[in-house]
Amino acid sequence: MTLDTRAPAVTDTIIEVEDCQKHFPVTRGILLRKTVGTVKAVDGVSFQIRRGETLSLVGESGCGKTTTARMILLVESPTTGKIKFKGGDMAEFTPADYKEYRSSVQAVFQDPWSSLNPRLKVGQIIMEPLLTNQRLSKGETKEQLESLLQDVGLHSFQANYYPHEFSGGQRQRIAIARALSLRPQVIVLDEPVSALDVSIRAQIMNLLRGLQERYGLSYLLIAHNLATVRYMSHNVAVMYLGKIVEEAPTQELFTNTQHPYTKALITASLPSHPDRQREEMVISGEVPSPLDPPSGCAFNPRCPFAMDRCTEETPELRELSTRHKVACHLY
Amino acid sequence: MTETPLLDVQDLKTYFFTRTGVVKAVDGVSFTLEPGETLGIAGESGCGKSITALSIMGLVPKPAGRTVGGRVLLEGEDLLTKSSQEMQAIRGRELGMILQDPMTSLNPLFTVGNQVFETLRQHSSGTSSGLRARALKLLQQVKIASPETRLRDYPHQMSGGMRQRVVGAIAMSGTPKVLIADEATTSLDATIQYQYLQLLKGIQRETGLAIIFITHDFGIVAKMCDKVIVMYAGRVVESSNTRDLFNEPAHPYTEALMRSVPDVDEDVDFLYSIEGQPPALDQLPEGCSFAPRCPYVFDRCLKETPVPLRAGPNHLATCWRLA
Repeated sequence: MTLDTRAPAVTDTIIEVEDCQKHFPVTRGILLRKTVGTVKAVDGVSFQIRRGETLSLVGESGCGKTTTARMILLVESPTTGKIKFKGGDMAEFTPADYKEYRSSVQAVFQDPWSSLNPRLKVGQIIMEPLLTNQRLSKGETKEQLESLLQDVGLHSFQANYYPHEFSGGQRQRIAIARALSLRPQVIVLDEPVSALDVSIRAQIMNLLRGLQERYGLSYLLIAHNLATVRYMSHNVAVMYLGKIVEEAPTQELFTNTQHPYTKALITASLPSHPDRQREEMVISGEVPSPLDPPSGCAFNPRCPFAMDRCTEETPELRELSTRHKVACHLY
Repeated sequence: MTETPLLDVQDLKTYFFTRTGVVKAVDGVSFTLEPGETLGIAGESGCGKSITALSIMGLVPKPAGRTVGGRVLLEGEDLLTKSSQEMQAIRGRELGMILQDPMTSLNPLFTVGNQVFETLRQHSSGTSSGLRARALKLLQQVKIASPETRLRDYPHQMSGGMRQRVVGAIAMSGTPKVLIADEATTSLDATIQYQYLQLLKGIQRETGLAIIFITHDFGIVAKMCDKVIVMYAGRVVESSNTRDLFNEPAHPYTEALMRSVPDVDEDVDFLYSIEGQPPALDQLPEGCSFAPRCPYVFDRCLKETPVPLRAGPNHLATCWRLA
């Protein structure tokens, strides 16, 4: 059972996000830029990434999952809220803390065609972060490079090739080797397999799971494919319009789904067998504009169970049972 | 069932003649399609599924690409012998197509209405008020809310799902008999994809349209298709009705693909992964092109190219294990 193999090993928290918001101003005019509104890309999310575990953020485009990842990667700074790394608040980081954080938190992106510099050889791409941060002798460099290539299943002679000489799956291996080079504790995986061919996806997913086990890595996985999420993660947080609407351990989320939006996502995902009948999905319409989100619960215009209260009051994320949280007035 | 199928593709071959050699992108693809039926063409990138579609439409990129053999019979008439002008008339009226990315298949400089009118004018004459009424009807058919105002919108003012609906409306404007959807829902979000697929099913029920889904996703096949062909390196490796394919995949490639896809409905302990990658089409190995990755490979596979062999009623697989 997946529950056993993916059971939490150690449960100490590495990254803790507390009530983070990221608002982008919308401006009009060229000289006198007036702010005419704000897009609440992330509107108060809290979660924890534990050592050796994978937390997945799922949701449709525009739900804020990538903005959340970008805050963790220090590409965006939160408008309000705290991000803590091993208990230390990022707002009080010293330059040395930042340096440690940047080495400890790495990323692998969706498209290995655009995330690798085409003018560098693979060896240079993989070793660049390490050589920027540490002084290594030639022998050590070679040794490190070889062990990284071996970790991701590439041959050492391939270090002298350029990215264009590799297929998509191999490029993603290169991107993973580069992310591993600083021996990070957390890797942010932003749609790591969705650009790859079906027969290659399993290779990369298995590689990522193997590396997690070997090095005790924590992953923050951003994905829209629920099957991938179910295979890869220990915990899942479902986002809708900048908020987490449901969060639970993976098996609990898939077998004891509570929030109507999560249910809709599962119904909408494609079946693995023609005989697998699903009940008709009852939600209609599209994700509303984040510029003008609906009042109350953001999901209420599409929700089949919407009540008066849902348009008036924003539901809070409450613990339903141990570690299973839902933001819905039904519960 | 009629005697001549609606669409009968026989031994279709489309090659690309490049400086480095001949790339056999489609090498002997055959299938038939009846009205109201849905066929899936499944495979990974480079397997020839999109070129198969383009060959049927007569849109193979020239001059490198050429359809060098086979027949594409639409109601008994061979499309490969038609002139490009005749094909122009057939595209849209007999065959419709929806591509993956609605942002690139719509012109950003013209309103949606303009683009719907343009295709309508291609296929029929009529007064402008008549055209307008037909355009509105088409947009209603693809369930676009308030079509009157939407006709004045530019593509960028619409969401991805809505744009893809417009593309669907344009494809349906000539009331085609066959609709080819080439990864039509791949770029859509899950709930939007679901709605779009339901919409196509609905239109199919009403009009008896035959649909060909070109996809890399077996989920689409499972949800939508009556029968399916699986392609690998330009050839059909397995053809079957959908249920048999999922119950008993006969080709090792199909079997491996199914075992390597995670499942939303069940916990999977460990995914099988196919080692290696598909071969380059201008350097195909001798014998079976899947042989280098096949767990069941034996002598004959390396020497002789396999032929379609029976794996069950209406179920063929190109594998020597069945011999």
